[in-house]
Parts: sequence; structure tokens; C-alpha cells
Amino acid sequence: MKILVKNDDLCIGCGACEEVCSTAYFKENNIEKSCIQVEKGEDNKINVCNQCGVCIDICPVMVIGRNKSGVVRINKRDCVGCFMCVGFCPELSMRQHDDYIEPFKCVACGLCARKCPTAAIAIEDVEKEGKEKL
Amino acid sequence: MIKVNSKDFEWEEGLTVQKLLDKKKYTFPKIYVTINGEIVEKEEYDITLIKDGDDVKVIHLLAGG
Amino acid sequence: MDVKALKAAHKLLAEYKYEPAKLKKGYTDKTLYINIGDNRIEAKDVPASMKEKFIGGKGYGLKYLWDATTPETKWNDPENEIVIAGGPLCGITQYPGAGKSLVVTISPMTDIPIDSNVGGYFGPYLKFSGWDALEIQGKAKEDIIIYIDGNNGVIRIDEAPLEAIDGHVVSEELTEMYADSEEDKKNISVISAGTAANHANIGLLNFSFYDIRRRVARLKQAGRGGIGRVLRDKKIKAIVIKFKGTKGDLNKPANQSLINKAGIKLHKQIHDYDDVQCRMRQIGTANIIEVMDEYDLLPTHNYQYGNHPDTHKIASNVFVEKYITQGMPDGCWFGCSLSCAKAADNFELKTGSYKGHKVTIDGPEYENAAGLGSNCGIFDPEMILEANFYCDTYGVDTISFGTICAFAMECYERGIINKEITGGLELKFGNAIAQLELLHQMSRGEGFGALIGLGVKQLKRIFVEEHGADPDFLNDIGMEQKGLEVSEYLPKESLAQQGGYGLTNKGPQHDEAWLIFMDMVNNQIPTFEDKAEALHYFPMFRTWFGLMGLCKLPWNDTSPPDNHLTDEPAKMPEHVQHYVNIYNGVTGSNIDKDELILQSERIYNFQRIFNIRRGKGLRKHDAMPYRAIGPVTFEEYESRKERYDQQLKDLLDYNPEGKTTEEKIKIMREYRLNQYELLTDAVYKRRGWTPNGVPTIEHLSKIGMELPELVEVVKNHI
Repeated sequence: MKILVKNDDLCIGCGACEEVCSTAYFKENNIEKSCIQVEKGEDNKINVCNQCGVCIDICPVMVIGRNKSGVVRINKRDCVGCFMCVGFCPELSMRQHDDYIEPFKCVACGLCARKCPTAAIAIEDVEKEGKEKL
Repeated sequence: MIKVNSKDFEWEEGLTVQKLLDKKKYTFPKIYVTINGEIVEKEEYDITLIKDGDDVKVIHLLAGG
Repeated sequence: MDVKALKAAHKLLAEYKYEPAKLKKGYTDKTLYINIGDNRIEAKDVPASMKEKFIGGKGYGLKYLWDATTPETKWNDPENEIVIAGGPLCGITQYPGAGKSLVVTISPMTDIPIDSNVGGYFGPYLKFSGWDALEIQGKAKEDIIIYIDGNNGVIRIDEAPLEAIDGHVVSEELTEMYADSEEDKKNISVISAGTAANHANIGLLNFSFYDIRRRVARLKQAGRGGIGRVLRDKKIKAIVIKFKGTKGDLNKPANQSLINKAGIKLHKQIHDYDDVQCRMRQIGTANIIEVMDEYDLLPTHNYQYGNHPDTHKIASNVFVEKYITQGMPDGCWFGCSLSCAKAADNFELKTGSYKGHKVTIDGPEYENAAGLGSNCGIFDPEMILEANFYCDTYGVDTISFGTICAFAMECYERGIINKEITGGLELKFGNAIAQLELLHQMSRGEGFGALIGLGVKQLKRIFVEEHGADPDFLNDIGMEQKGLEVSEYLPKESLAQQGGYGLTNKGPQHDEAWLIFMDMVNNQIPTFEDKAEALHYFPMFRTWFGLMGLCKLPWNDTSPPDNHLTDEPAKMPEHVQHYVNIYNGVTGSNIDKDELILQSERIYNFQRIFNIRRGKGLRKHDAMPYRAIGPVTFEEYESRKERYDQQLKDLLDYNPEGKTTEEKIKIMREYRLNQYELLTDAVYKRRGWTPNGVPTIEHLSKIGMELPELVEVVKNHI
């Protein structure tokens, strides 16, 4: 399945990934609307969905599922906006913003990886079982 | 003699918080313990000794519904 | 199941078309009135004054019921209403436990208003369909179904001769009938009762929610007080609602952000801590079965004792490991991450009309395991699940049934009744098959089971009048008050909980105050004033859930990790603030935690005066059977002799040495009954009531409830 892999050590906290993500999906340069978010400081920590799929079973209306590439997607049309998936995400990378009544998440599109100047993030095709490497 | 929730309770040498909970059969999961007003963390129930004369509170948070 | 044939037999009696009112800040300000006697369907506007004082949910229900009935109205008079209402917060999806309906009617058990708080999708869908409340009045001639299509604005009353009556069948049939597809089934909710509710005064209402993973219509219950009996007396088979298009902001809140923040914080807390706290997601309320046993609070053998050596056989883990399907989201409304609604799938029934069927059983909840189980001396988990299933589908309140059955079993064991009277049933404690047979008889309206369905109060009268029983003894051991059976906690060693049961509006149900730990274990409320404060605050606070359309469980069956460091841990201050925030978020108001209590106080006093208007609601009606207060019998005293002897020494300065048990019971009884009277004095005073339990006009004025119709009632008692 496709996931965005990360290497915190390479991250310089420039924010390019956040900008491209929020601009692509919400037409706005706003970190809070980015699926990938970097906690910046002495050590930069990249936070992004690893497609583990815990949210799939949490959703009360079964609108979260995997697509053919294994990427976890939300069917926003039928989402009831309860945000349980946000509270139950083990990675804290299911996002929510008060401007929208549905959550949003990384769909491993790779836009940010292409923008990243240090190759701290990249799209990889991994076996489901290979998730331990994360 | 110690106080447990403001009532007298027999003290003994080597009485830890955990031993007290066992003796009182306090098995409810949502409790917190103080000794003379100081909170005792859950991880320390086994190693925290209660001294003779201590004022122990084992507060059960409401449940039931 | 051929639902086409069922539908083809429908005969339209009335149809009403409407433009669904838009929701704004939690309200539509419209309510729906349906008279099934003359097939009249009308919309009502909610006046601003009603909205201000009565808020919603149970407040609206009581207000409409007051207006619709006279002091003489009986439960089975046509003018008695069933009112169903959510409340301004009902239907939000971000905060756990926000899908509740409050149902109000004049109860066949108590002859005063009963209110019951129930999950399932009906309440939210009713609001999304444009209605803040649904009032049903009148009586139909033949069995009918009421159908509300909230998307197209159509309401129908149909004669419906062929559908089943039992809850699990009719809910499946109607979900199938009114859904366009499998996917559409989650948009349907059905209210039904069951065949026992045709006869038994302890009949309940089932509210369905479609479980999209198990693919079955599951049932939540408005259990207490016999509302299902009223539904069936009105010849309503079911009320069906359909609403498609649920989203997270249909309440059109003033400030969605406040709600999101509170909701996500609680979801996260439940995710992080529920496994080590109450395990609500794993087993629901049944987590306390063994806890209650450990603390001598699990009612066994008709509340004689508080624990039993066999409790381990029905401990929560037995249900978790052997019966309950795990890993399913078990919320009864979207967004309830506490998810307490457990289910056992593929359970093969061993008795009754559905013998051999494999069914999904909702439960067991704690009350069911204690009421159907330990209180009747039954410690067989499969029998408890089976009784749980039949109670639900036949439409029987598990709490009342458990307590009645326990009472009858004690009467049988003591020789007050015998096999001749029970129709051959050997009604000993522990006889699970006999208990199930009572249920099956009740569903057919036959035999001793039909009598059981009348409740403890009526059974006491029958045993005295027809079988020569000693009325004093039956009054001591019959665990009912105001006509309602006591729910499943043993309150003997907690005076505050005796008040928590006794000094209530609808009867002894623990949903006003559960104070046993605070009082008996923690010793946090030692004085009468302390107990009175708790018996003011908690009933008022918990009344508020019923005004809003909220569930109580997310308030204190999960705790913030630093709750114990707050000034008042028992109140869960962080959660109280969440409630203030989500209320302000939805309605755009700016209340604080004190005004929250004031909102409840208005309704609480209104309900008290409603009781007084009906010739009840006074001090004498708040007395409790002695079994709830102390040891009635020799065996009870002897079983906890050390404890009681010690109390005689410590509390009464009475030396038990050389005294007979009978003497000690008598002294203990005088003391405890007096304590209850002193508690009653303190609580009435704190609540602003006279020593006879009547709200004073000064108090009504203080809380902004000096309404002429209320003053009219109370002035005759002051």
C-alpha cells in the first residue's frame, strides 16, 4: 500500500510540505489545514498518517475505508462529523478544522514529498505487514 | 491506628497502600488515594508505606447508571 | 419476511404534509401533535416563554402532559399523552451521548408522570425532521403505525393488522419496509413495545437503531414506569421515523467550534483511559457487577444481601469472553465513543416463542444482570441473557421485572405464596426456568406471570387480600415506592442513597443520584447538611441531561486523568464545563454551571408540583420500604451481625451483649427510620420545600417559576 514515509532527522522545519498540502486541498496556506504537520523546534517532528486504518473500525457510519492502493480515505459526503476518528487516531494525525464538519487526512498523494527540499518525506509502496518499519 | 476515610482502621507494620486496598477490598478502578492530604500515584501503591497515625483517604469516584 | 404483504394490508387513516421547519441553534420551535383517536395531525409553535422555562426534552414533555391532562386523568384515559422529545443538544454528533429521547406519560405503575431517557436514533431524527417534540394523544380503534418521513415532510397513520408486536421482530419488519436499500436502513428508527406490554403494567418502549456492521435493528429501552403499556393501550404498534442526510451540524449551532473542542477532547480521553477505568467500550455498565458484589451492594435474594459466592459466574469478564462481540462501535447514537451498548450475537434461545432462533441480544447492562440475575438468585449467564432478550422483545422493564420476581420468590420461599398460587411454578431463588416462564406467561397475559406484570405494589395487595399475607411484612420487603420498583443497588448502608431513591420525583430509580460511594465508602458527606447538599446538587445536575437529550454515562463513567486534583472530583468539573460549553455552543447562550442547575431546578420543582396536583408528591409518598433502609429479618441481621452490633455500640451507645436478635433489629430499626426522617427534613429544606415536601412560593419565585398554575396547586398545601 502507498504511504508517506518520513525521516525526522532530515527535516529542517521549512514548512514547504504544509504549505503545499493546505493549498492543494483547501486553497489556503494554513498549517492547521494541512494533513502533514511538523512540530518545529530543536528536533523537528513530522506528524502524518501512516495508513494504519484504526479509524476504519472506529467510524460509526463506515465511511472510512481503503482504496485500491491501500490508502485510507474518508467519504466526506456520508460522514456525520462526529470526529471520533480524530480522538482515536493512535498517531494523532487525523485532522479536524472548525471551518469544516468532516475530518481530513493524508491520502499519500505525494505533493509534499515533491516539494520537500531535504527528502525527509517520500511516498513508498509497502506491504501491509511491513508496517513495522514505520 | 490510622484513619481511612475518616474512620479508624487498625495499623500494622509494613502496611502499604496496596495492602490497605486489598484488606478493605477496594477494587473499584476509579479511585485515588491520599495520605495526609498528599496524592499517592497508582504506580507507587506497592511501595508506599503507611505510618501509624496517618490520615488516609481512598476516594471512589462516583459510578453507576 | 415478506414486508410487501404486511404493507399491502395497511389502511391509510390520515396523512399530513408539511414543510420541515429549519433547525436553528438546536431548536425548530415546532412540535408535532398527533391525536390517534380522531386521526388529527397538527403542528404547534413553541412559545418563547415555554422555551425559556422548560428548555426541551423532559421539560417539554412535562409541560405538554400538564396541559393535556387533569388531576384525575388515569393512565389509560384517552387524554393521557406519550410525549417524546430530544432537547437542544440532541442530535449533535461530536459529543458522546447526545442522541437521547425523553419520554413522558402518566404511568400505569405510579399514577404520576414518569420520565424515561432512551437512546436509539429516533430523537435526533425527529428533530432533523422538523420537530422539537412529538405528542401523542387519544386511543386508536385498531392497531396502527405512525410513520414520519422527515425528508419529504409526510406523516401517515395507517391501520396495520399484520405486523408483529414483539420488539425485535416489528423493528426488523419496519426497518425493512421503510428503507429503500440496505444502506438506507440506518436512516430508520422504530419505536415499539412487545406482546407483554399488551397486558403488563411494566411494559416498556423499544427504540431502534440500525447496526450497519451486524446488519440488525438493535433496541434501546425507555424502560421504567410502563410507557409501553400506555403505547399498547393506545393500540400503537409502532412509530417509525425516517430521515436521510445526517451531518455533524444539523442542529445549526451558534458556535460549532466550542462543541468540536469539547467532543474531541472527550473522545481522546476515552481512547486513552477507558481501558483502565470503567471499560465501557469493552463491556458497558456491566463492568460493575463484581464491583458491587465486593462492596456488598449487589442486591441478592430480593435485596436481603449485598453479595453472593456465585457472583463470579456472572462477572463482567464472563460476558466479555464468552458472549459479547467485541471491536464493534456500540454507540446508540453517532459519535458516542463511550459505546456502552453491548451485544451478544448468534445467541440460540432455549425457551419460549422464539426457541431455537439465533438472535442478537443487546446487553447485558448492569441493571439486567443484577435484577434478572443476582436479585433472583440466578447466576447463570445464559439464562440472564435469555431473560434479557425476552424482556426487551416482549416489552418488559428488566428492572421492575427483576425486582418483582425477587419479591415473589422471597414470598414463595417464606411460604406466603405456594405452588397453587403460582400455577405450579416452583418460584425459588435461582429457578431461572421459572423466571423465564413468568415472562412467557406475561407475553400471553396468562397465569401468575400476568400478575407479576402488575408490579410489587399490586402484588402486595393481592397477597394480603386473597392469600392472607401480613401487610406489614410485605410492605417491609416489597421493594417499591410510589408504585415503582427500586432499581438494582442495595442502599441499606448508605443513608444518602436511601434518599437518592426515596426523595425522587418519579420513584426509586438511581438516575437522580447515586451517592453510595461518596457516602458509605468515602465518608465525604457525613452530616445531614452534607447529604442534603448532595441530594440537591446531583438530582438537579442529572435532571439537566433529560432537558438536553443527553446521556449521563459520559459525565462520570470516564474521568479526566487529573480529575482528582480538582476542587470537587465527584462533580467532574472538567466535564461540567464541557456541558456548559456545548450548551452555549449550540444555543448561543452564555450560561455558567450555576445557571445550568437553575434550568433543572425549574423543571424538577414543576415535576414535584405535577405530582402534588395529582394528590401525590408529599412527604408520606417519599417513605421507603424498610428493606431499603435496614435489616428486616433475623437472617439479614445475623448475616452482618458484626457490622450491625458494632453500629449499635458506636452510633447508639447500645450494648448488644446478651440481647436477642429481635431486640437488636427493633432498636436498629427505630434508629435508622429516624435517620431517614432527619435526612428528609434536611433535603426538603435545601430544596426550598416545606417539611411536607411542598415547594414554597418564595422558592418558586427565587427560581423564576412562580407560574399561576403552580402557585394554585401549592397554596393549598402551605
